[in-house]
Amino acid sequence: MIKNHLINRDIAIVAYGETKIERRSGKTVFEFAADVMEQILSRCGLKPADIDGFATNVSHSESANQYATTYMCDALGLTPRFMHVSDHGGGSGLACISRGAMAIQAGMCETVLVLGADAPTTSWNGKNLGYRPEFWDPTGIQGPAGAFGLLMHRYMAQYDLKFEALGKLAVSQREGAVLNENALESLRKPITIDDYLNSRPVSSPMRLLDAVMFADGGNGVLMMSTERARALGFKKIVHPIAYSEIVNFNGHEAQPDITETGFSVVGPEVLDKAGLAARDIRMFHPYDDFLIAMMLQLEQIGFCKHGEGSDFLLGTDVTWRGSLPINTGGGQISAGQVGLASGLTNLVEAVRQIFGEAGARQVADASNALVTGIGVIPYGGTWSVSTAMVLEQGQ
Amino acid sequence: MSGTASKRPVPVPSNTSRPFWEAAKERRLVIQYDRQAKRWQFYPRAIGLDSGRRDLEWREVSGKGSVYSYTVTHIPTAGFEDKVPYALAIVDLDEGVRMLANVIHVAPDDVRIGMRVKVCWEEIGEDAVYFAFEPDLNS
Repeated sequence: MIKNHLINRDIAIVAYGETKIERRSGKTVFEFAADVMEQILSRCGLKPADIDGFATNVSHSESANQYATTYMCDALGLTPRFMHVSDHGGGSGLACISRGAMAIQAGMCETVLVLGADAPTTSWNGKNLGYRPEFWDPTGIQGPAGAFGLLMHRYMAQYDLKFEALGKLAVSQREGAVLNENALESLRKPITIDDYLNSRPVSSPMRLLDAVMFADGGNGVLMMSTERARALGFKKIVHPIAYSEIVNFNGHEAQPDITETGFSVVGPEVLDKAGLAARDIRMFHPYDDFLIAMMLQLEQIGFCKHGEGSDFLLGTDVTWRGSLPINTGGGQISAGQVGLASGLTNLVEAVRQIFGEAGARQVADASNALVTGIGVIPYGGTWSVSTAMVLEQGQ
Repeated sequence: MSGTASKRPVPVPSNTSRPFWEAAKERRLVIQYDRQAKRWQFYPRAIGLDSGRRDLEWREVSGKGSVYSYTVTHIPTAGFEDKVPYALAIVDLDEGVRMLANVIHVAPDDVRIGMRVKVCWEEIGEDAVYFAFEPDLNS
């Protein structure tokens, strides 16, 4: 029996921090982390000693360091009584928040900093081992873009994929990035559907503008019990009210349908845990490594039926003004993917929107949000990790 | 490394995968079979994914199958600079298992889902033979 450890709204996110996203910044992971922590401490009037819980992702830059998370505590002056590191790839951010909540509920700590920082375009030390050196690298597959090219052709064989629908999604997210001062500067220019359709093929039918670009940066949130948040006088709070994850979805199957993802499990489940239907979701902040990944999520979480993602997108305004705003800050595809800290970029945008601090791109009714994470490419498959969390404005 | 052509990665067998690569040298395709679950699995694992038992054996397979999906790569990885564009496919072997491989001896744009293919072998380095697929004109 799977239970919802967040349903009592006893956990509160009280602050967020986010750096400008940059390419070849020349900066270290520790500098980005310091920027994020300073923003959060300044906003809350707290000091490092007030943080007694710490959760973070494995970064590309520090992944060769077996003690990266402990070193991070030392670099930031933290003395946590609870420490956690997730290697869910782009699912890490939500995984960290879910575990931070459990640690607070279990009484291990009171105040958890969930932080993501990575600088892969400055320092790359990541090395995917496992099946890859023998059964992936020698084939010349163009990394995740190749895997998603395979996925897209299979989707096209089973369903109706309209490229203008993906183009509309790209154009809508880009509009958000233009209004997002933290987005990668080179991407803060509007694009058209023709720009998308005419962009360079990478691994057919995957085009350049289907795909995310790696960059350097950091982001994070501060969590505590709702009781403590009230006692400390925080006026703006966000409750995570439901979370689900699945790892290695279909991994034991020899010939699974690769168009079916873990969101077919965690999507309906997380909505059920929150007591909501897809139509009740005010904003959707899906993990976006590739445009097709968002379309599959829309279908499998239940915003539309399987195979009807193209028509759903063509018939729905998904900008910040629309009926279902999607990744209003540009998402990763238009703001840049901050390495493996990426799982928090869209989460931080959702928190910013619920706080009413999104400026020119503020969503009118930002009272709740569905945020997701995706991580890790399995052999011959789509993605291994699917995470989903519902956020709600605290009253 | 300017002026030096980059090299296609050559697999280094592990203790688990060694029988696969030993057979590949003889241009035979062998796949792990879970004797408890009566199921094939690929890539090679240390345990049967279905049964959770280590009762695995290597069995030679037909090497015949069909393209489950494909992609044509336009931006090459190391060692593939002179091959672009090149086709990659997920191939469903007739025995009921799936492999990721290059599709060669055919124009990349002529690869189609459902296309019948059979295994073939490429020498990719000293003492290194790698599997690929080519159109199977007899099935």
